[in-house]
Amino acid sequence: MSANINLLLRTDEESLKRKKRIKILNFGAVASLIGVGLTSLIIFISIQVINPESIRREQEGVLRKMSQFQSRQTKLFVLSNRVENIDKILKIRKNFAKIMSGLLAKIPSNLSIDDFEVDDKSVIIAGQSKSLFTIGEFINNLTDMVREKQIIKSLTLNSLTLDEGRNAYQISIKSEL
Amino acid sequence: MNEKISVDLKSLKFIFNKNKPYIFTIVIMLVSIMLFFQFVIPQFNTLLKVQKEARYASLKLGILKANLDVLTNTDEDVLDSQLKVLNLALPSNKDFIGILDSVYSTAQKTGVSLGSFSFRIGDISKSENNDNFPVVKLSAPINAGVTAISSFVETISRTVPLSEVLLIKVGNVSSMVNLSFYYKPLSASSYSQDARINPIAQKGLTLINQLREFENVPSISKSPIPVASSSAVQ
Repeated sequence: MSANINLLLRTDEESLKRKKRIKILNFGAVASLIGVGLTSLIIFISIQVINPESIRREQEGVLRKMSQFQSRQTKLFVLSNRVENIDKILKIRKNFAKIMSGLLAKIPSNLSIDDFEVDDKSVIIAGQSKSLFTIGEFINNLTDMVREKQIIKSLTLNSLTLDEGRNAYQISIKSEL
Repeated sequence: MNEKISVDLKSLKFIFNKNKPYIFTIVIMLVSIMLFFQFVIPQFNTLLKVQKEARYASLKLGILKANLDVLTNTDEDVLDSQLKVLNLALPSNKDFIGILDSVYSTAQKTGVSLGSFSFRIGDISKSENNDNFPVVKLSAPINAGVTAISSFVETISRTVPLSEVLLIKVGNVSSMVNLSFYYKPLSASSYSQDARINPIAQKGLTLINQLREFENVPSISKSPIPVASSSAVQ
């Protein structure tokens, strides 16, 4: 029999390893159980702390106070609505007064107007004068307006005739606004 | 390998006794995992939901408090006077009296004589709660020259209710001005209790003061309000 063979010692080592493994596993199991419990508890406390019920109660209080000012609230709502819409209208509406006065300022005093028509897209002016120079001045003025992009965008000479009976030149123009 | 393995009670007991310490641990771990999925995850979802609700509620509370502040600091008399001017400029329904008053007073001021005119009202059964501005159209024959009509157009553009000129036709024999008068019904759909109430902004105050200078605004409403108000939002 060899003295080196020690079966008892080997059994102890295995037993120790087994015990150690069991200990680790037990620790892990208990730790996981405690971990789950603690996480659950922390989440529960967080929910209780965050609970929006108190905020809702405060909201109801503010709403109760606000109900005393219901008429002011309605008036402010109407006011902002009117301001917003009036502002829109003032922005979108075409300023015919400016268009008309701008064009009239460019009509020489010797030119009498027979027809003046303005809508949102175009303007038609028909007039007459005894002087061809006045007619030329009128056309030049309008041409300058087109060049300077002032009120009108284009200029079309519809007709330029001489009325022998009246001894006057008649002109008709059309412009795009 | 279709050999039958016979396991008797004695062997089972032996296996159980041998693995007893592991079985207890594994059961605890399984219970922990089960508890995690059954309770912790749903609880966590609830926490997220509650957090979201709380954030929304505190945001709403902030708005409500700010609204209460605005309402408390608003002078109702000033509000009434501003509203009067704005309602004259843009009525919420067809204000025929206002329109007639506007046309006649403008004619009187500019010294033009009016012919008989007619309104074009349109389909009165149609709903008007859309984005466009409904209008009452009016064709007014005017016995005046081009300069007087220019003055008429200029004056009516600065008269309430707000109007827009659609067509100006000046001839040797007769002249005509087509006008459309704006109105805008209030839509309750844009009203929300949670919406922030803003005091009238600087721009709005300037607009109201500008409208006070318009024709047909009763003199009682003409006293201008300070443009730089402490409650005004820049």
